[in-house]
Amino acid sequence: MMQHFPVLAVMTLFLASFLVVLFGSRNKVARGVIAMTASTVPLVLMICLIKPVMIDGQIISYWMGNWEPVSGWAIGIGYEIDALSLFFGLIVALTIFLSCFYSLKYMSRDDTLEKYYVLFLMLSGAVLGLVLTGDLFNMFIMIEILTFAAVALTAFRNNLDGPLEAAFKYLVIGSIGSSFTLTGVILLYEQLHTLNMAQIGALLQKTGMNPTTAFAFGLLLTGFSIKAFIVPVHPVAADAYTAAPTSASMAMASMVNKTGVYGIIRLLYIIFMTMGLSSVQNLIVTIGTITMFLGVTMALNQHDFKRLLAFHSISQIGYVITAIGLGTALGLSGGLYHAMNHTLFKGMLFLCAGAVLYAAGTTNLDKLGGLAKKMPQTCIIFLIGAFSISGLPPFNGFVSKWLIYQATYEKAAESGNFGFAIVTVIEVVVSVLTLASFIKVSQSVFFGELPPELENVREVPLSMRIPMWIMAVLCIITGVLPGQAYTALIQPAVNAVLSPVKYIDAMMGSGYAEQFISAADAAPDKSVVLAGYWQPINWLILFVVLLAAFTIVALLGKNSRGARSHSDEVTDGKYATFYSGEKSEYSMVGGSDMFWGLKYNLRHYFGFIGEMHSGVVNDYALWAVLIAAVYLVFSFVCLL
Amino acid sequence: MMLVNYIGCVILMVLGLYTVVVKKNLMKSVIGLGIIDYGVNILIISIGYQKGGTAPIFTPGEIKPGTFFVDPIPQALTLTSIVIGACVTAMALSIVIKIYKKYGTIDSTKIRRLNG
Repeated sequence: MMQHFPVLAVMTLFLASFLVVLFGSRNKVARGVIAMTASTVPLVLMICLIKPVMIDGQIISYWMGNWEPVSGWAIGIGYEIDALSLFFGLIVALTIFLSCFYSLKYMSRDDTLEKYYVLFLMLSGAVLGLVLTGDLFNMFIMIEILTFAAVALTAFRNNLDGPLEAAFKYLVIGSIGSSFTLTGVILLYEQLHTLNMAQIGALLQKTGMNPTTAFAFGLLLTGFSIKAFIVPVHPVAADAYTAAPTSASMAMASMVNKTGVYGIIRLLYIIFMTMGLSSVQNLIVTIGTITMFLGVTMALNQHDFKRLLAFHSISQIGYVITAIGLGTALGLSGGLYHAMNHTLFKGMLFLCAGAVLYAAGTTNLDKLGGLAKKMPQTCIIFLIGAFSISGLPPFNGFVSKWLIYQATYEKAAESGNFGFAIVTVIEVVVSVLTLASFIKVSQSVFFGELPPELENVREVPLSMRIPMWIMAVLCIITGVLPGQAYTALIQPAVNAVLSPVKYIDAMMGSGYAEQFISAADAAPDKSVVLAGYWQPINWLILFVVLLAAFTIVALLGKNSRGARSHSDEVTDGKYATFYSGEKSEYSMVGGSDMFWGLKYNLRHYFGFIGEMHSGVVNDYALWAVLIAAVYLVFSFVCLL
Repeated sequence: MMLVNYIGCVILMVLGLYTVVVKKNLMKSVIGLGIIDYGVNILIISIGYQKGGTAPIFTPGEIKPGTFFVDPIPQALTLTSIVIGACVTAMALSIVIKIYKKYGTIDSTKIRRLNG
């Protein structure tokens, strides 16, 4: 019974996407019921799988139409769910559920909603299928469905300015990536005569790398990098997340880029098993570090709430890529933990941006301000998200970033490579810059003075707040109880990544992997000691003490200063020295004016990266070709 | 020999990439994407082909000792890929039409309102 769950979850979503357009084009209730049912079922099925897969350590294999392997050759399409797949499956199913829940109210002002739900359920089904499948070509099909559903969702509000343009750029870059992926898949088929990932993994160990498989490696890595939106193919992600309806941007930021991360992990650790090579580690860590730094510096420069969040999303994916590129068990733990946290807090922040857009009608940071009084709950949720993404204790971002710092630094000590120490410093700097730009957002959206046009703004409806609260609570739980979250979800996933033999045997029959892989290769070091790294209770106590001290100081300060405070002196601007005799009606430091000094001092750098994101589709295509060239040269030089 | 297929498909893919990277007209970008796709399809078919092989259909009576099939899997993959390619082109063209209505041009250097 249980082995049918994954395929049922994927099929429910695809089936529902057709049912929605059949029954939901006229009937609003039927549309909502079908969409919500379809998005709840995968979550329930994935949660049912936690016990057998995560705790008991089973690996579920399922052959479509019961086409089992014949004399050691996989001939059917297989689904294989190990702990890594299930880990990403849970993230994806949760995102689907919350995004659908949120969209019920958020999208209610648009028309042709049945088309929105068709595309959304297609996207969801494809993402879920991608992380659960065990077949490389099936993975390619899912990538294609995902890309085109995401492109169409980006263009959904095509009466506005950005969406069409963003969709076209996404389409061009996405289909270049898909073509590279397909070429890589077919070259592997040419060499090994199978499309099953487990069997490819085993056979590649026997044949070793030859020029064709090295070529395929470079192409597949390019394809998945384009899905993960790492530098230099990230500008399309920024455009798409900005232009899509927010519930779709949230789905894309939370789960679509995770498919790229999943693909890279699967490719490097299970299929090619090249993660032991220090050259591969250096490549992936370099790419990840550039991604995280460029993402956050671009975010500092933004004037739009959603675009800023999009660049932060790119930056956080950089953390994940850096961590998984270390090739150690600790690095993987940090990377996977951060991937999960990124889904929670980034999804939540996008939902906050959507709430602001819904209530105030704009996401331009220069036109917003003072919304904390009008939308107190959204403000609290936003602050939880901002603290989480900046890595402040006791929220979840701190735990995963701490693990990543620790992993990078230990790697530096272990390998004696000074570069990893520099990477650690960059990680901390990026975290500080993240905090800086979220101070900018909170100042220019929720605090400061309320512009006169936004007097009538009200809190968003309850059905939009519930998904935001669910994510906020999960952010706090994973931050305060990291040990439990770690043993329940991360540890099994890390073990699954580091034991490819089990993955191969579960699919091809036990003993299959032994023919190709010696036991020494198959048992890498997976000792992880979490204890001592992080004591959340102590940090929580410190946090409470600091908060109490701050409150007392603030209260005392108010009493002692009394009438001498600056605001009392100039209650009426008429008598102030530097005003022209008229009381200023509205004076607010806008989003663009924050951190002016930093931006002015580094104006050459900011100007340069601003110009690099030219918005011309040819440039972005050139960068996609460039990263492919880098990967191909790398795989020929270092893997052969 | 078979080598000419492989050279041809690589030339097609590179030409397609060149079109996408260099040509400023969005229609030409769409055509470029199509050309990349055709290159990949030819590659897939070439990999499955074997000289002298027959169609991969088991018909009792027609199979004699010595006959062999071309690999059927790449043909199935190519069909899928062709369908996807058609969808890409259709969708890209519809977006280009919408862009033309909105922006009044299909010059990619002028369609850059999202930048920086």
